[in-house]
Amino acid sequence: MKNLRVAHIVEAAAWLSLALLLFVNSFDFNQEIEIYRYGASAWPRALLLLIVVAAIGQLLGQWLRGDSQGSEMLGKASDDGAERVAELSDHNNPKWLAWTFLIMTIPFFYMNVPGIVGDWLSLDKAGLNQAKLLTAAVLLGIFLLAIRGNHIGGMLTLPLLFGAFLQDFGFYFTAPFFILGTMYLMGERRWKNMVMIGALVMGIMLALFVSLLYVGLPTGVISPFYEFGTGIVNLLQ
Amino acid sequence: MDTLNNFINGTIALFGDPLGILIFLGGVIGGMLFGAIPGVSMLTLAAILLPFTAHLSPEHGIMLFSVIYCTGVYGGAITAILFNIPGAPENAPTAFDGYPMTQKGQAGKAVGAAVTCSAIGGTVSAVIMMIATAPIAGWAISAFGPPEIFALVFFGLAVASSVGAKTFWKGWLSILLGLLIAVVGLDPVGGIERWDFGMPYLLAGIHFIPTILGFFAVSEVLVQVEKKARGSYSAPKVGVDFPSLAELFAQKVAVLRSIVIGFFCGILPGIGATLAAFMGYNEAVRWSRDSKEFGTGKMEGVVSSETANNAATGAAMIPLLALGLPGGALTAMMVAVFQMHDMEPGPLVFLNSADLVWVVFAAMFFANLSILLIGFLETKTIINLLRIPFQFLAPVILLLATVGAYAVRGLPIDIVVMFIAGIVGFFLRRSGYSVAGIVLGLILGKIGEQTFAQAMQMLHFEWSGYFSRPIAITLIIAGVLTLLNSIYSCFFKKST
Repeated sequence: MKNLRVAHIVEAAAWLSLALLLFVNSFDFNQEIEIYRYGASAWPRALLLLIVVAAIGQLLGQWLRGDSQGSEMLGKASDDGAERVAELSDHNNPKWLAWTFLIMTIPFFYMNVPGIVGDWLSLDKAGLNQAKLLTAAVLLGIFLLAIRGNHIGGMLTLPLLFGAFLQDFGFYFTAPFFILGTMYLMGERRWKNMVMIGALVMGIMLALFVSLLYVGLPTGVISPFYEFGTGIVNLLQ
Repeated sequence: MDTLNNFINGTIALFGDPLGILIFLGGVIGGMLFGAIPGVSMLTLAAILLPFTAHLSPEHGIMLFSVIYCTGVYGGAITAILFNIPGAPENAPTAFDGYPMTQKGQAGKAVGAAVTCSAIGGTVSAVIMMIATAPIAGWAISAFGPPEIFALVFFGLAVASSVGAKTFWKGWLSILLGLLIAVVGLDPVGGIERWDFGMPYLLAGIHFIPTILGFFAVSEVLVQVEKKARGSYSAPKVGVDFPSLAELFAQKVAVLRSIVIGFFCGILPGIGATLAAFMGYNEAVRWSRDSKEFGTGKMEGVVSSETANNAATGAAMIPLLALGLPGGALTAMMVAVFQMHDMEPGPLVFLNSADLVWVVFAAMFFANLSILLIGFLETKTIINLLRIPFQFLAPVILLLATVGAYAVRGLPIDIVVMFIAGIVGFFLRRSGYSVAGIVLGLILGKIGEQTFAQAMQMLHFEWSGYFSRPIAITLIIAGVLTLLNSIYSCFFKKST
């Protein structure tokens, strides 16, 4: 067992759980097709079986051979440095992983909670928008508190939060904050530089995609963000 | 003669069109820069550009990607030689001897050798590609039906899984994950909804563009965040000192050997330029009489690695264009470009779109030649570009990816899917899995299932029918042997 660590067992368990979950779900589409004897579920189930075999094979290989499975040259050629960095960093312990995954649920709360509350309280459109604004403010506060001391977790969540806010608040309002947030989480602290480069990046993006290529980016749906977004589009086009 | 005429026509079509010239130059410079700057790669650039190729003609889209492929493979050699930081994995072995040459004050000579040999390797490979692809495609039209295409996909995935990740099992799991993602949506035979979990978005399947952008562009940025790459390097003063003809002639065996190695690595699915460079370097060490000098600044090390990786580029286009089989991440993205234009790569492209093929061939030939000129200019500018801290580059990459993901269908959920793919890619990469394998599985998944279903219907569901089709059964046996050999290596073979 000397080659096997808890992480390897967790990894195998994750693959096997995924296979089990998808296998159970495959009964939803386990239908016969008149012209095709194997039906709609044979191919996906064959893939799941192979996943089970590969996950067990990976675990057995790790147990018997450790990291010296196969060719060293292949290992070097496929190495992009990500694994080594992860090993050296202190971002591999279960506590960090659990905390980071918890932070990463924040955007999904935003995507689901206002809708559920809106249905529950039978809110109209204006009420729903207010619920969204309030939820966004609360979740943003929680996010900022949660990422203190965990900038990698913050950097993993920020793009998801940006993606979640984009539809309601629009690209034009959220993108500048996303640019500044990314720079900050990557260690930049010179605010003057951040603002200048942020403005430059945003200016080039708007000139290229909105003025030149006429790409219709999300303008947002909640007032006054919608008016802000459409105002910029009207100005540039 | 036909080949020469077609090449001349392709060249005229390429350079007779101002937009074509612009895209060609953009691809040459972009590929080289993204290949050179640590923290991004030619795959990042290709992923960002992928959605926008929908607005280009198929000729321009495929040509752009093929040019990025040629120059991107070379691009990272400069940083590998000057700073011991390979811009891309393809150039990692170049640093083994290139950087010691810099330390010995021979940086100019090392850069010159890399530039010259990349151009030679790539150009020779492009010429062989031009000669070989059309006859293979012509043969494939009559010889390849659904059973053969399925067998080819199986063989390709078997080889790719064996070499793509840290272990064979992780390679297979990466590909299987890609194949599973391809299952989501409607099944290709009966149109039955699979794994949509009641979400209307998933009915049409997970779109490959946000997924590719996530796995390559976003996950790369996230990995760099963890590396905390700052890009602050002390820049040595350097020029390009092209090796003399006598010096080049002395390397003839190394160049020829690396061309052969690179070409075969390129033509086999899943191997590609990175492994070509490592194999080229390893074989140079093995065959050399002064093998102990490798790693101390021997020009043959730079020559072997740089010739082999560029020789793989032309070869990789042969299975893509002649058989419709992408061998790596970039060629898989080229399949995506074809699909966005409602085209399928494969032998019929030669019949239906011969112009496209020859414009692409001509572009690859000239892109490899242009390394000689642009390589010189790049060496002067790249040192300045490396001064851009990554924290300023990262938001640009993420925003470009965001616009790209959204521009495909105008759905904000595609942006969320892209970022989820990026996070999944980040965690998988730091565990030794291959994102290239996932994308290969994703692209080949639909083709694989569809051709399997067609093949079984054609063979009246008799598996023994494969034995009456020599090409199909040969490919399946070869794939099975590859898998068995990999499993044997995992458990029993001494690590080499």
